Parts: sequence; C-alpha cells; structure tokens
Amino acid sequence: MKKRTLALLGLVAALAISLAGCTDKAPQDTETPDPTGSTPVAESDIAYIQSKGTLVVGVTDYPPLDYQDESGEWVGFDADMCRAVAEALGVECEFVSINWNNKLMELEGKSIDVIWNGMTLTDEVANGSSPTIGYLSNGQVLVLKAENAAKFEAGELALADFTPAVEAGSSGEKAAAAAGLSCVPVEAQVDALMEVAAGTSDSCVIDTLLANVSTGEGTDYADLVIAADLEVEMDVAACRKGSDLTEFINEQMVTLYENGTTLQLAEQYGIADMVVKPE
Amino acid sequence: MSSTIIQALNSGFVTSIQIFGITLLFSLPLGLLLAVISRSRWAPFRFLMRGQGEDAPRWRKVLAAFRPVKFIVDVVVWVIRGTPLVLQLLVIYYGPGLIFDQNIWGSGYQGRYIAVLAAFVINYTCYFSVIYRGGIESVPVGQREAGEVLGMTKRQIFFKVTLLQMIKRILPPMSNEIITLVKDTSLARVIAVGEIIKAGENFLRQGIITPLFFTGVYFLVFVGILTLFFGYLERRLNYFK
Repeated sequence: MKKRTLALLGLVAALAISLAGCTDKAPQDTETPDPTGSTPVAESDIAYIQSKGTLVVGVTDYPPLDYQDESGEWVGFDADMCRAVAEALGVECEFVSINWNNKLMELEGKSIDVIWNGMTLTDEVANGSSPTIGYLSNGQVLVLKAENAAKFEAGELALADFTPAVEAGSSGEKAAAAAGLSCVPVEAQVDALMEVAAGTSDSCVIDTLLANVSTGEGTDYADLVIAADLEVEMDVAACRKGSDLTEFINEQMVTLYENGTTLQLAEQYGIADMVVKPE
Repeated sequence: MSSTIIQALNSGFVTSIQIFGITLLFSLPLGLLLAVISRSRWAPFRFLMRGQGEDAPRWRKVLAAFRPVKFIVDVVVWVIRGTPLVLQLLVIYYGPGLIFDQNIWGSGYQGRYIAVLAAFVINYTCYFSVIYRGGIESVPVGQREAGEVLGMTKRQIFFKVTLLQMIKRILPPMSNEIITLVKDTSLARVIAVGEIIKAGENFLRQGIITPLFFTGVYFLVFVGILTLFFGYLERRLNYFK
C-alpha cells in the first residue's frame, strides 16, 4: 500500500516536471515563424494571407451584397468586389458565413481576414478594426406600419412621436439618437423589423438596403413602408487592427472605381444609385 | 411555404440532428467514465492519519481526507455546469485565437463544426456524469455486498449487478437531459454553424418570418419521437422491479 502511494506521488511529480518543461518551451515556439500559424499583424497581414493562399471573408446572407446562388457559390456586389481584390493579391477568396454579432472576434481571432458585408462604419467598427474607405452610401431609414405612415405623411404624427426599435450599436441607433428619438435597442436589424410587424415597437430605424429588400410585396412585411430618410452612412470593409491589408483594399477600391468595374457590378446587382467615389 | 425554404430548413435540421447524435455518441460513455472516476476514493495522504487518534491535529485530518481525483472532477463539473453553454462555445471557438493568437480551428466551416461538437460533448459529459453517479449511488449497498459474498470481482459487480439497475433508474432524468440537448443544438448558430434556427433566421433578411417559427414543428416532431422511444424503454426495463 505504501509503495503504491509513493509510486503515484512520483508519477504526479513527473507530470508536474513535464508540464513545467512545456511552459518553458512555449515562448520559443512563438518566436520561430510558423508558416501555418500566425504571424503578428504588425509584421504583415498581406504576407500572412499570401502564405496561406486564401483570403477568408466573413459574410452573412445579405442579398444583393453577399448571397449564395443555386450552386452554393457566394455571389453579390460585395462578394464580386472582394474576388477582384483577392485576385490582385494573388490569392483565392474563401467566404465564411459568420454570426454578425461576433464579427470583430472572428477578425481578431483570425478565423476570418476581412469583413465585407455592407457594414456601415460605426464606432464599434472604427474602434475594433481597421476599416477601409467607404464604397457604398447606405442610408438609415424609418420604417413604419402603412397606417402610421399615412398619418405621418398627413402630419398627424411627427417624427418625435416614435420610439423606434434599433440594432444596439448600429448606425440606425446613432441616426435615431441624432434625430432626438429615444430607442429600443434590440439584437439585430431583423429583430427591429419584427418588432414593428408585431406592434411591439411603433417603428424601427434600419439600413436602406435591408429595408428595401425585406419590406413590401412578396415578403411577410407587406404592410411596412419606408417613411423617412434619416441619415446617410458609408459602408466599409474591415481588416484586423494595424493590418496592411486595409491600405491595399483602399487602393484596389479606387482602381476598380476608376476602371468602371465597380459601377458595372453595381448595375448588375441593381444598386448603382448607392455607389460612391471611394476616397 | 416554398420548396427552397423547406430545403433550407431540412438541411439545417440535418445539421441539428448530427450535432445531437454525435454529442450523445461521445458524451454518454464519457459521462459514465467521469462518474466512475468521480467516485474515486483515492486519498494519497491517508497515511498521515495512520496511528493517529481522534485528537490528531486538524491539518492532518483534512489532508488525509483529501481526494485529489474527486476534487479535480468536482471542479471541472462545477465550471462546466456553472457557466452558460453559449459562453463555452465562444471560449472554445474564439479563445485560442484571441488569447494565444493561435486559431486552432482553421478558417473553414469544418473547424466551427468540430468546435461545436467539442463544446457540446464536454458540457453534456458533465451533466450525464452527475446523473450516472446518482444512479450508481441509488443501487442499494446490499446488492453490491451480495455480489461480493458470491465471490464476484469489482468489475463483475459493476457490469452485472449495478449497471442495469442503474440504467433503469436514470432513464427519466436522462430523457430530460437528452430532450434538452435537442433544443440546445440551436446554440450552435452562435459560432455560425448552420443549424435549423439559423436556417430559419436567414430568411428574416428577405423579410420572410414564417420559416423561423416553422422550425418549432421540426423540434416538436423529433422530441415527440424521442418521448415515445423513452416510454418504450421504460416499459422494457419494468421487469426489474
């Protein structure tokens, strides 16, 4: 019995020593450059992406910017723009459907290299990533039920009478606050829309693009209408903080705009009126 | 509802069922293993009390009663049961990249899927282990003693006497936990794994709400089938009385 106890104690000691050995070795591991692992962003994000051969793009299902066609291929205005940039970079595009709430974590944790999904430039994006220059103008609009919209038109209801539902931290929230409205912050823009449809909120403030796609005929929100434009925001793509990829994408956006590719794509996807000169 | 919607929901549901099945496949045996380990009575410092009377110093008593294996299992179960599964999914998937700058999951969909499975297996192993432990302890000591009298080994007693009686007793709490697992699979969407709720939510962006609520039908039908199955199992095990 005593022998067994001693043997086990010895085993624990051996384990402890081997664990200590592991921690000693760890710092060396991070110093040696690892081709498959991560190179510090400060060095070169571009070199890291080129060494993997793929530019991993975080997207959500958001027609007509990013969506999957019948064959499962990601297409759309943003997806095609991104492919053009990847081509210039000499790498393949890999689109990954992400949870939009975790986009910055995805970026920082290196499960994606860039967010390119009609993202408006908010404080969250500006602080938590390295945003590119704007390439689309995306307004914030007030969405109401048809009957309220009619009253709003007729002047029976004023903007100040509404308490819109907004996505927490979104440009919609900012726009509503700028208009002096108090808001109901919800988790996503689509939840804000549902609030209006269900009557739990009298209105919502969301992106023009989303409002156009998700209200009106052929949707479950046929009785919702866009009643007012509140503010125009810029859509940007975003890279990791301190990444040199941002500058590269900026240059490419200018090139694509100047050689007409941007406008051609925008016309193809029916959003030509949203294109802005990147600068 | 259009066929594209049904197709999208079906493929989401297949993912949900896969997560459900694979989680059970691993966590049911692992839970039993953890339950057996957590019953370890190994106390390496027991020798400190050898030859000591009741008036031995307090530190000797405490140290002698210390069971390190049981302690470690208790701490792990406490952490896993004590934190939300959503948080565990985030920590497991984003933690390596955010904390150690080493994204071990790669960039593709496969990494997300494996991370979900890892989180679910760890989580459910802990819950199951507690149910198993309760089951083992609920089998009367007399049963084990009878086995000993008959000259059975510890292993024989566990597999031939304790195990089946335990299974009968833990069936109701197990069915509870397994049905909870069916619905917990919907948390996989937090790290963008395309289970059925995510498939339904995707249509919200096109202004189509019904698919999201229709997912409830899938869950109800599946849980209904499980309920019937557990009812059948309980009847089959009734002869143990």
